[in-house]
Amino acid sequence: MSGRATAAAGALLALRGVSKRFGDKQALSGVDLDVRGGEVHVVCGENGAGKSTLMHIIGGILQPDAGELLIDDVAVKFADPVAASRAGVGMVHQHFRLVASMTVAENLYLNRQPKRFGLFSDRAAMRRGAADLIAGYGFDLEPDAVVGGLSVGQRQRVEILKALGFDARILILDEPTAVLTPGEVGQLLDVVRDLRAKGRAILFITHKLKEALEISDRVTVLRHGRRISTLPTAELSERAIAIDMVGREMSPAKREAQPQGEAGVAPALEARHVVATDARGRRLLDDVSFAIRPGEILGVAGVDGNGQTELSEAAAGLRTIQAGAFAMAGRDVTRLDVRARRRLGLGFIPEDRLDRGVSADMSVAENVSVGAYARRRLANGAGLVSVAARDAYAAEKIREFDVRGAKPSTPIGALSGGNIQKVVIARELDLRPVALVVAQPTRGLDVGAAEFVHRQILSAAERGCGVLLISSELTEIFALSDRIAVMFQGCLVGTLERAAATEEAVGLMMGAGTRAA
Amino acid sequence: MRPLVLPPRLAAAVSLLGPAVAVLVGGFVLVLAISDDPLLAYKDLLFANFYSVANFALFVNRTTPLLFIGLSVILSFRAGVFNVGGEGQLYLGAIAATAAGLACARAPQPLGLIAAAAAGAVVGAIYGFIPGQLKVKLGVNEVVSTLMLNFVAMLLTQYLVTHPLRDPTAYGAVSFMLAPSVWLPEIPCLPGATDGALIALALAPLVWLALYRTTWGADLRAAGANPRFAEAVGIDADRRVLEAMALSGAVAGLAGALYVLGIGHRFEQNFSPGFGLIGLTVALLARLNPFGAILTAAFYALVLNGAAYMQIDTDVPRSLVGLLTGFLVLFMTARGRAAAAPA
Repeated sequence: MSGRATAAAGALLALRGVSKRFGDKQALSGVDLDVRGGEVHVVCGENGAGKSTLMHIIGGILQPDAGELLIDDVAVKFADPVAASRAGVGMVHQHFRLVASMTVAENLYLNRQPKRFGLFSDRAAMRRGAADLIAGYGFDLEPDAVVGGLSVGQRQRVEILKALGFDARILILDEPTAVLTPGEVGQLLDVVRDLRAKGRAILFITHKLKEALEISDRVTVLRHGRRISTLPTAELSERAIAIDMVGREMSPAKREAQPQGEAGVAPALEARHVVATDARGRRLLDDVSFAIRPGEILGVAGVDGNGQTELSEAAAGLRTIQAGAFAMAGRDVTRLDVRARRRLGLGFIPEDRLDRGVSADMSVAENVSVGAYARRRLANGAGLVSVAARDAYAAEKIREFDVRGAKPSTPIGALSGGNIQKVVIARELDLRPVALVVAQPTRGLDVGAAEFVHRQILSAAERGCGVLLISSELTEIFALSDRIAVMFQGCLVGTLERAAATEEAVGLMMGAGTRAA
Repeated sequence: MRPLVLPPRLAAAVSLLGPAVAVLVGGFVLVLAISDDPLLAYKDLLFANFYSVANFALFVNRTTPLLFIGLSVILSFRAGVFNVGGEGQLYLGAIAATAAGLACARAPQPLGLIAAAAAGAVVGAIYGFIPGQLKVKLGVNEVVSTLMLNFVAMLLTQYLVTHPLRDPTAYGAVSFMLAPSVWLPEIPCLPGATDGALIALALAPLVWLALYRTTWGADLRAAGANPRFAEAVGIDADRRVLEAMALSGAVAGLAGALYVLGIGHRFEQNFSPGFGLIGLTVALLARLNPFGAILTAAFYALVLNGAAYMQIDTDVPRSLVGLLTGFLVLFMTARGRAAAAPA
């Protein structure tokens, strides 16, 4: 245990030597933590470092095997979340726990509805109370709005209100920014600052370092279930936190300046005036054109929901386009289906791993071998699979791509997001792709896994693969791309050489859809 | 509180056997409450199938269609298609085999039999293919279409057996008797038990092999487990669905055909005591595992037949079995709340 802890008397919430074990996995060992009123305390750590377990213990969802919790220096034990909330601990989960078909007011009063004659719910009192609560925090919410119709950011604010209830003094936010658009993140951080000013203690879980520095007063880093450090934010840098999180010096992947490819070589992947519409005829892709040379990485930035998903699916052959054409290495592939495009060497890393990237219930071996049975001779001519060859192939990929905690027979859904992504990448790169469509490759991944993914994308490009990199993380776009384009309302607005692009200019294009002067 | 941790194989065995044991124990308490002779009743329920060779043969004959339908359901469910049309496919397979068997009465010894069995399988396959095609091309929900097609099949066979195929000399709605030349032989050392049982037993490992040891099966299960993933990696999911549905229908059709050829020797209007539905439970209780289906089909046959003996010997009604199997499904589908370890 590091001696860098800064224990403070009068902490609102304190943890002393908290340990928790799941089966043979020690999730937390002897963790100390202090949170003061009027403080934003960020807890950082890689996936599996124990952040969520720790928060679930504070929130009463899990009970520690050893150690104690103190609130106002009094030891407490929470048997369940209700006990925790009675003691003033409110929790906002990463995945929202709201009833979509109910109104905001009904959700806020779930399980504590005011009653009329002890029998009927008093809807008027409920609405009044909800309106007061919303007004108290200045949120843009309607008590009567149905939650299902709200944006993600608004739903999160309902969750926050629900967690605060009427008397929570300690608020836990579990990776609250993971689901938000950049604009919504800004609003959330304003809300957090406001709560801090009101004297609440806020525990903020994140693995985004920039956010940690921006919002926090102190930062605690967990690694493998142990507390590595707790330091005032003023003394920290992104690099210092990353070193504590990963346990070693990070060397972020960075694209070296590439020599211009010679003219006359057909682009690895080309789109010509591609138009795609939804069922109502609205244009999701509006005259999109680009050409990616072999070995080049084209970064497509943009706020989520501006057609990036549709672009990646159209390029992969998963979405029919109404006009325009796609070409690979000079050959028109517009009319080819996914299978045919893959045979020509089109790799696809989808934005949602569990949706399109893998089949969660099937094994790692089966997921990595899909489409490789014939190519890698994992099955004979009659289609009879050689289990030995398949598992050996999977074991080789697991080693090569450093998929942690996986055997060929492990159900892939049991792995962490980063390790699932490694399996997807292993499978797609084994196609020896001519062109690679990559969408949001590091969403939800921790720094270590993200670094690995970035290196794989760069090395694919070095082998001559043309890469379409779609991401809403500007740092990622800037670290990897040779050229940067911005998507706005289905259009590609302006393409810049990386040398000529600045984050400010690209950010402006993302917001306004016009090329910055 | 530390949860009890079992080694995985033992845990799997407990999860399968535990509910069965719990149901039998619970059932005994029930019998104890209503019967004057609870021990005899329970002895009959569990062991009467083994009192004599004849009883055992009846048990084998009862297991056979259940196992066929169970395997049929596994094939379609693994492809993500909730095919509940087993009953209809069974009836059509049976009537097709009857018609073909009557037509081939003079054919040389094994040919007529093979033709009749093939007719049942083919008609069943077509009847499975139809809802598959409706689902793939038009997005028709397969639960609705297969359920409705069951009625079509049953009413159609009812017409056929009461008019063109009816044996006017027999009592009730039954077809003409098949010529012994097209009968499926009995198991040599087990008089009264149909060879269909051996075919069903051989089919179980084949289904397992096709699903788990071929690229076709890998693609089919991927299409069933996550169609959007299958699409993204270039698997022709629609085609796999159609193949699975046709195969599933063929197996159910074969169940009907072999029942007629090996057990009934003629088509009887209500020959199935709901094999289609019971077969569905057989497959689900086996967690869609073809080998598990052998056990669950045998278990169902055991208690279905055992209940009949129990009712004859004692004052316990056979409907007790409905209660017991209901509890079994309840226990099997209920799972202990696992202590989830968050990341």
